[in-house]
Amino acid sequence: MNTRAVVFDEVSKFYGEVLGVNRVTLNIPPGITSLVGPNGSGKTTLMNLMTGLIHPDHGSISVRGISPRNPEHLMRVTGYATQYDAAPRWATGFSFVTTSLLLHGYGRAEAEERAWKALERLSLTDAANRKVAAYSKGMRQRVRLAQAIAHDPEILVLDEPLNGLDPLVRARTIDLFRTWAAQGRHVILSSHVLQEVDVISDQVVLIANGMIVAEGEIRNVREEIHEHPSQFILRCRDASRIAALLFNEDHITEIRLNEDQQGLLVMTRDREQFSRALSRIALGGHKIEGVIPADENVDALYEYLIGGK
Amino acid sequence: MIHDSPGSGPRPPGPLKQAWTIARIELRRAFLSKRGFWVYGLALLPSLIFLGHGVEVKVRRNRLSAGGLTPAALVDRVSKGETVEDVLERLGRPADDQKWERRKRVRADGESASVTSHAIEPATEARYVRLNITRPVYSGEPTARIYEFEVYGPDGTANLALKRPATGSDPCTPEEGPEKAFNGSVSGGRSDKWCTHETWNAFLQVDLGSILRVRRFVLKHAGAGGEDEEWDTREFNIQVSKDGKMFTTVVNVTGARFVEERTSYRMLVYFDGRRQAYLRFEDGRLVSKQVRPLLDFEEDRQVFAGVFQYFYLRLAIFFGCLGIFMNLFRGEMLDRTLHFWLLAPARREVLLAGKFGAGLIASTAIFAGGALLCFAVMIWPHDPAEVQAYWEGAGMTHVFWYAIAAVLGCVGYGSVFLAAGLLLRNPIIPAALLLGWESINGFLPQMLQKLSVLYYLQSLCPVPAPMDKEAPPLVQLLLAPAAPASRVGAILGLLAVTALVLWLSSIAVRRMQISYGAEV
Repeated sequence: MNTRAVVFDEVSKFYGEVLGVNRVTLNIPPGITSLVGPNGSGKTTLMNLMTGLIHPDHGSISVRGISPRNPEHLMRVTGYATQYDAAPRWATGFSFVTTSLLLHGYGRAEAEERAWKALERLSLTDAANRKVAAYSKGMRQRVRLAQAIAHDPEILVLDEPLNGLDPLVRARTIDLFRTWAAQGRHVILSSHVLQEVDVISDQVVLIANGMIVAEGEIRNVREEIHEHPSQFILRCRDASRIAALLFNEDHITEIRLNEDQQGLLVMTRDREQFSRALSRIALGGHKIEGVIPADENVDALYEYLIGGK
Repeated sequence: MIHDSPGSGPRPPGPLKQAWTIARIELRRAFLSKRGFWVYGLALLPSLIFLGHGVEVKVRRNRLSAGGLTPAALVDRVSKGETVEDVLERLGRPADDQKWERRKRVRADGESASVTSHAIEPATEARYVRLNITRPVYSGEPTARIYEFEVYGPDGTANLALKRPATGSDPCTPEEGPEKAFNGSVSGGRSDKWCTHETWNAFLQVDLGSILRVRRFVLKHAGAGGEDEEWDTREFNIQVSKDGKMFTTVVNVTGARFVEERTSYRMLVYFDGRRQAYLRFEDGRLVSKQVRPLLDFEEDRQVFAGVFQYFYLRLAIFFGCLGIFMNLFRGEMLDRTLHFWLLAPARREVLLAGKFGAGLIASTAIFAGGALLCFAVMIWPHDPAEVQAYWEGAGMTHVFWYAIAAVLGCVGYGSVFLAAGLLLRNPIIPAALLLGWESINGFLPQMLQKLSVLYYLQSLCPVPAPMDKEAPPLVQLLLAPAAPASRVGAILGLLAVTALVLWLSSIAVRRMQISYGAEV
């Protein structure tokens, strides 16, 4: 049994006749992993499955060697900030986090100290003694994050964690994820806003219609898709001349000339050949000021894999 | 960093400690749930009723005692037939003295109730006969009703007005015109009469066709047609005329045909400090004597036994546990907060135990507390000596078994409704089914009776509930107690049923999944 990874083995989950996820096999190593997909694709289902809020109809799940059917073990090392917005009616921000820590077995004094520090990290101390029900959406998001991290878990599962956060807290939160991932912990988060996970994820799992479309490091995923054209932006003075030269190359599928006549968007099926072609053009006396990969982000992959495929 | 050692939590708490932590947190939901505030009303309602009764008795005792107490022996010696003066002389001023009079109208001459006959002497000649109504009825209603108006000549055989042309004040309805008073019938129903709402100069007139000698008139009023006698015509006169212009009054009735029969009543109440004697006099003579205690401790204990079994066990604890226990899981599902608990590092069975504990503490405090409060309020106005004797006798045992029955009621019904809250979304169906099952328990074979919470609870009650012999047979059957079990057997049986239900609940809670709605 793999005690370092979160493992899904042929996991399927149906809600009545509605598909949640279908035959998902995943091996999520420590680090920051983003589950990316549109609304209704199955991200929350995967998270609920790995934390035991729902049970699979088929297949098995192991979270660092622990079954999600054993919450008494799993939740000691796991923090889950759900997307469920409601908190118990009685809860203030402080009591919400403290109560959770009491259930972990912390003494009241230590529970309160930890709760306070967790709220401090999420800049919630001013509102700590107000009812969660009276919080704004962003504050409720932060208090759920505070609860999830307060007991210092090995595995942090975060459903749309950056929704509703202001830029400052957002930056601090992302720093926190990176720090935790660097310590060998799991930080598994979901998003349908691709740009927000693009820059912070070590791994990405692309999911659509309950099925895994691709998984791995963003670059690796990208390279696995040989047939998908890569996009590059060239900054150059004689753009129309360079475009004509590139059109002679077999691997070039499309070129768009920028309106200012000083830039090109080029699509190629072969990065290596494209790179050699650029070298030849440059040696031929054409000045190329810059080459920028235009699609090495999740958006482009996603569009290709899900929308354009 | 906040923590030096990632993931190194405290030592896991034991299941009991964890369940107690959960129970303490959940007590807020159990006691203060907005969905469940009505349970307090259920629990306290009998106490309020007993309190009202107690206050009323105290006030009455003070009022009766204010005029001094009458020795019991004097009260006992009063006998029927004595005059009020004799009684007052012997017993002195009563604690309460009420006088009233009853008046009854009776016919002076023994005529039939709603038919009046009016003879004139000597007979007179007339072609037109007219009835003028000045006060329509005795009840004050402004409606006159005449079912038949008959006119007889000197030989008295033939009704000269029968089916003759008639006129009169505007009828109440077109079917109740003047002609109906001359059609020779009173048995044709409510419309077989002349009726008018006119209160000023209401009249009914008949044309005999020619000038004839008339000697007697017969009027059949509302009562003759089957209506209330209070609607009989009260004051009227009868006039005759030869030409229809000049009328002569020959009969004038002002109610004098009735006499008023009066009976005077007097109720003297004497109080000897414990018993009150009601002495009822009719026209100055004692006709009845009732002596009863102001408060009857034995009777009140019986009433409490009935309240406890029929109200607390069958209704309050049943529906209260429905409100409290079903809300523990189902309420969290409705509030979309159940994930908070399912994500706690606790076995699901521990969560179940914690929530059950919270519900049990709350329901026991509310309902066992409510029942004991009711018992205390029931005892409060009674004679301290009687109460002291009761405590020295069976009192404490009664209280103990009432408390045990209430607590076990919460245990039994609580477990059932906790399970229902886990398994079902709609509480009405299981509540109705269980209520039906508990209600027909007395009919069931003894083996099946043992699968009922009420079966065990009834066996624990220290005083049998009174049964009203006047109640309909079906109600008596439904309220009839099942065959009793021994107390030890009842407690063990109830705990066994509870354990079985909780075991089924633990399976359900382990399989429980979050299902707030569509989230994929």
